[in-house]
Amino acid sequence: MFDAVVNNFPFLMGGFWVTVKLAFFALAGGIPLGILVGLGRISRKKWVYYPVTFYVNLIRNIPLILVIFWFYFVMPIIIGSPLDPFPSAVISFIIFEATYFGEIIRAGYQSVSKGQIEAGYSTGLNYIQTTRYILIPIALRRMLPSMITQAIVTYQDTCLAFVIGLPELIRRATIVDNLEVRSVQLYGFVAVVFFITCYIGSLMSRRFEVKEQEGG
Amino acid sequence: MIQIKNISKWYGDFNVLKDINEEVKQGQTVVVCGPSGSGKSTLLRCINGLEPFQSGEIFVDGVSVGDSATDLYKLRTEIGMVFQRFELYPHMTALQNITLAPIKVRNKSKKGAKAKAMELLERVGIPDKANAYPANLSGGQQQRVAIARSLAMEPKIMMFDEPTSALDPEMIKEVLEVMINLSKSGMTMIVVTHEMGFAREVADEIIFMDEGSIVERGTDISFFQNPESPRTKDFLDKILI
Amino acid sequence: MGLAYEFDWSVLWRNPYGMYLLQGIWVTIKMGLIGWIIALSLGVLIGTMRISPWRWLRFLGGAYVEVFRNIPFMVQLFFWYYAGPMIFGKSIQYQINSIIGLNYYVAIIALGMYTASRVAEHTRAGFSSISRDHHQAALSTGLTHPQMYRYVIIPYALRIIIPPLTTEFLTIFKNSSIAMTIGVLETTFMSYKIDSETFHGLESTTGACLIYLALGLAVVKLMGILESRLKIRGTIGR
Repeated sequence: MFDAVVNNFPFLMGGFWVTVKLAFFALAGGIPLGILVGLGRISRKKWVYYPVTFYVNLIRNIPLILVIFWFYFVMPIIIGSPLDPFPSAVISFIIFEATYFGEIIRAGYQSVSKGQIEAGYSTGLNYIQTTRYILIPIALRRMLPSMITQAIVTYQDTCLAFVIGLPELIRRATIVDNLEVRSVQLYGFVAVVFFITCYIGSLMSRRFEVKEQEGG
Repeated sequence: MIQIKNISKWYGDFNVLKDINEEVKQGQTVVVCGPSGSGKSTLLRCINGLEPFQSGEIFVDGVSVGDSATDLYKLRTEIGMVFQRFELYPHMTALQNITLAPIKVRNKSKKGAKAKAMELLERVGIPDKANAYPANLSGGQQQRVAIARSLAMEPKIMMFDEPTSALDPEMIKEVLEVMINLSKSGMTMIVVTHEMGFAREVADEIIFMDEGSIVERGTDISFFQNPESPRTKDFLDKILI
Repeated sequence: MGLAYEFDWSVLWRNPYGMYLLQGIWVTIKMGLIGWIIALSLGVLIGTMRISPWRWLRFLGGAYVEVFRNIPFMVQLFFWYYAGPMIFGKSIQYQINSIIGLNYYVAIIALGMYTASRVAEHTRAGFSSISRDHHQAALSTGLTHPQMYRYVIIPYALRIIIPPLTTEFLTIFKNSSIAMTIGVLETTFMSYKIDSETFHGLESTTGACLIYLALGLAVVKLMGILESRLKIRGTIGR
């Protein structure tokens, strides 16, 4: 009954691996960039605040698929030669997800009380040190559940790289389906894989939420 | 007016009320005090049927609260209740908060309900706030509107669940004054509070509850001067500096 | 240096490409609006189920939300479009597959069902944030349960839910772009099509970006008007 899945298991799971890799790089770049974006959004320097706000509001209004396309068309022009789907997708994702993480982390920054920052300054720390050792760690801890949720969303979004031909999980399922037409099995399999991984992820996020409330 | 006989209540395994007996006569003001978790708030909610109880009986003006045939909605029109966090409806003005139930439940005309509401707002001292939304009122003002809202249904009994606990110190007095006047005008009242000044002034009886039981009761003078139980003494020491 | 690129912005309005884009915009708008109607009605229903006093209703609602939330929308779309008809057996399958514009209909329904799970969560959160004491305060003035819900709880919950719903409304237009993967002729698909015919994908996708931006602004404006009207009218309680 599940013959199409079983027979093509290595091929399909290779796609899953690509999915995971893409998600990993997207997060590895998106979260640090998001930390900076968040700082930009609370900056009092107009030359920082306005460009960053423009960037965030721009990206958040555009579908991810379009961003992926856009970079796929833009990158060859900038670097002068066509780009592979994987690097193109990674860059698109980093730029896209950084805005969402940025907004989450910004909320974290704003929840840190002024008193804590002032305490840092009053012991002689400068801006970079206070930000690095006080503001960012506290904000990240507080927003951990939301960040895990957003990471799960990023992981789900990797499917969209399908449109530039990236051989991730769902594209591979489509390839097999074109050959063997066992759609229910194949897409059902993909659905189940995502369901299990995302559900476990959301349970983890809830665990952290409870820990946070208990005084983390 | 109110007879509470052998009331016991469990939340799952937790025995929150243990064989409570009490009687409140018409026109009396009874103050209930005790540590948190002692079951005071729960007892109040059993009286007007907001919480069920597993054994015992409660009679309010002859009506049995625990009887399944009793119309609890009707019962609640006769018992007013004021809450710790005021619970004003945020999407309505003070006036609308007060007139909602009289219009919808007692089918009063809008004009009549409004007139009565203005009267009540005068009585609690803030007629000028009739068209204000709760967000624009101070805590003390909100609680006074909440009291007016309960009085609008002309109940026979008023119950207060820690009405001043969420208020800043400056505003406690204005709310207590309204409650004292209400008591002196002859309303039957049950008040859960730690405000012993209020108790001293108008309480006909003070009950001390701990861990689900009534530990001690007395009229105010004897209560404060010679508490019998060590638990009562302990509690009074903590709250009376 | 490398590829010399000549910009050609006329692909945005030149015939037939301008028409492609306009058609695409119209499809996007239709998908967003109809999908939203489905999402709202289904979502509020499920959200209410999740806070109802009946355990099996709560479970059903919860299961719906978990399933539709944990599977990426694109996977759901593929499943319904490719695998869906097969579930009904061979004869019905051929009938379904021969419906013209099937992908469009499937996309709208899938979009509605997916977004409904998110609307359900917002509805549930809105209701949960109203404390039990608030319910009791209303009941203690003698209101019946139906009266309490109608005059006190629901108007209050609606105001809490509107900001997150605005975000969802925005998101549904963005998610409609995913329908391009099953060939629906909406905005993003059209920008891709223009590229395949003119090789000026940069211009066409930039144009598509501007279209989504304009759409987003319109939605925010609309919801802003709705929100301010609800505030002034504050008498929904009557």
